[in-house]
Amino acid sequence: MTRSRIDWRDLLFGLFLVAVAAGALVATRNLNVGHAADMGAGYMPRVVSLGLLAFGLFFCARSLWRAGLAQTALSIEPVQLRPLLAVLGAVGIFALTAEKLGLAIASVVTVIVASFATREGRLRETVPFALLLSGAAVLLFIKVLALPVPVWPR
Amino acid sequence: MDLFDNLLLGLSTALELNNLGLCLLGVLIGTAIGVLPGIGPIPTVALLLPFTFGLNPAGAMIMLAGIFYGAQYGGSTTAILVNVPGETSSVVTCIDGHEMAKQGKAGTALAIAAIASFFAGTMATVVIALLSVPLSVLALKFTAVEYFSLLVLGLIAAVVLAHGSVAKSLAMVLLGLLLGLVGIDVSSGAARMTFGIAELSDGLDFVPIAMGLFGLGEIIANLERPAERRVVSQKVRDLIPSRADLRAAFPAMVRGTALGSVLGVLPGGGAALPPFSSYALEKKLAKDPSRFGKGAIEGVAGPEAANNAGAQTSFIPLLTLGIPANALMALMIGALMMQGIQPGPQIMTEQPKLVWGVIASMWVGNLMLLVINLPLIGLWVSMLKIPYRLLFPAIVLFCCIGTYGIANSLFNVWLMLGCAGIGYFFIKIGVEPAPLLLGLVLGPQLEENFRRAMLLSDGDFSVFLARPISAVLLAVVAMLLLAMLSPTILRNRKAALAE
Repeated sequence: MTRSRIDWRDLLFGLFLVAVAAGALVATRNLNVGHAADMGAGYMPRVVSLGLLAFGLFFCARSLWRAGLAQTALSIEPVQLRPLLAVLGAVGIFALTAEKLGLAIASVVTVIVASFATREGRLRETVPFALLLSGAAVLLFIKVLALPVPVWPR
Repeated sequence: MDLFDNLLLGLSTALELNNLGLCLLGVLIGTAIGVLPGIGPIPTVALLLPFTFGLNPAGAMIMLAGIFYGAQYGGSTTAILVNVPGETSSVVTCIDGHEMAKQGKAGTALAIAAIASFFAGTMATVVIALLSVPLSVLALKFTAVEYFSLLVLGLIAAVVLAHGSVAKSLAMVLLGLLLGLVGIDVSSGAARMTFGIAELSDGLDFVPIAMGLFGLGEIIANLERPAERRVVSQKVRDLIPSRADLRAAFPAMVRGTALGSVLGVLPGGGAALPPFSSYALEKKLAKDPSRFGKGAIEGVAGPEAANNAGAQTSFIPLLTLGIPANALMALMIGALMMQGIQPGPQIMTEQPKLVWGVIASMWVGNLMLLVINLPLIGLWVSMLKIPYRLLFPAIVLFCCIGTYGIANSLFNVWLMLGCAGIGYFFIKIGVEPAPLLLGLVLGPQLEENFRRAMLLSDGDFSVFLARPISAVLLAVVAMLLLAMLSPTILRNRKAALAE
């Protein structure tokens, strides 16, 4: 807040929208657009992407314009990597292990990785809890709901 | 009498043994997640969606609806006992409810909250039943042109009336629409934005997106805040309120119900806005406004009635016209589509058993909630003792398994991972993700109806204004957008939506 008066929230959102819109326009450039009476597959993607692009540019411009006005520029609280990486890592680990190692092992690993997100976790508590959850998950999802995923490594 | 026939049909559906069971399951889960802060109904419904495949459509909807209104009951328990809102809709209940608890009247506050919720739930059920018939008659006149205009109105109004910046929410709707376009185009067979990935040809599943954006993103953001200490110190006694308490609370209940019912029907409505409005109203009407904030019973009864009424009447647009009023209703639409039911204005005439079954089940569910909330209060309170450090790894795991379960595809798990990151980004930059979900779910219908309308009118855009119903709908859209540009209304809106 003290260093710059740029509204980072607006600027980042604007840049994000511009990037998504540009990506979509590139990805759909070869689709037939057609015209209003006979729309091709590319008509709606183009209209929507152009709209997004306009919004994105608007937010970028507004963030800089507001900077000059020195209004209440909102700063973003610093990102804490620990929870972010632990939760995303847990989901990634699950995706990597679920089909290869089976649900039982994948569940234990996922819960343990996720619990690293907070400093409060203690392995003596987390490991038995992970085993318990894994058992519950196997019972519920495989035995009761018949999810077709292996329990143990194949 | 059509109405009675319909209600009887609904009751006979709702009272079938397995539907009763599903209703009970729904309200139990709803109360549980309502009591627990940090887990909302949106990720919960998203999580349970894959497992409703095997159920009949009515049963699935009955259970999912139960989660939503059940959460409104549960949220007030936490608000009163620990001064932490279990749900956003119970923020207001903290003020006077917790104050009552501090004065040793926790039992009375809980009882009044439950009774107000039950009263509102019952009245809202009647409102739904009464409004449904005329709306569905109107809906039968709809062609692609009107339906397109209605969808536009639904999207715009949902954005304008919900909280957050209007411009950002509109951008989020567009983003949702764009994501909804991913997949094989139905009419030409061309692949759009699939990037050669086979899993994308059927389009993006909204369950991983909803779980990533709302569930996991929220968890990451929650973990950044220091852990709060929750103390439930006192014993809950006197669960039966005195006559004087009831007399004081009753008018507030009635006003809260009326306000909640009206605000709930509006697009963008639901359970969040009504309690704030009701609290403001009660404070204005009170002879001695200074009592508020110091344990005024009206400050509990009014908002609690309002959030429950709003939660239920927000089903009206969904059940009669097939358009969702908020992100949760968008998930309900998703649930219907998974069951092979095309949501739209024809839903009432084609699926009377489903629609009326869900309506009747709301009343049954409210009765169950009254019973399970008051005597079992101890059970819910003990749930509050589960620390978040154990709760969140379990939610992460169940999200992973649930997402995998929709199509047995690991691709969805990766998609959820990406959305979790994006959801966290949105929270960091203060953008509300709910409009994205609305756009995503409504996108395909919007495009289909737009194309059909354009085909019928030979590319003439004036068709949307030439047809009276469509013109009125679009006029409302224009009015809403213009109103947003007017500075005084903008200021009032900010004040009304400020917490």
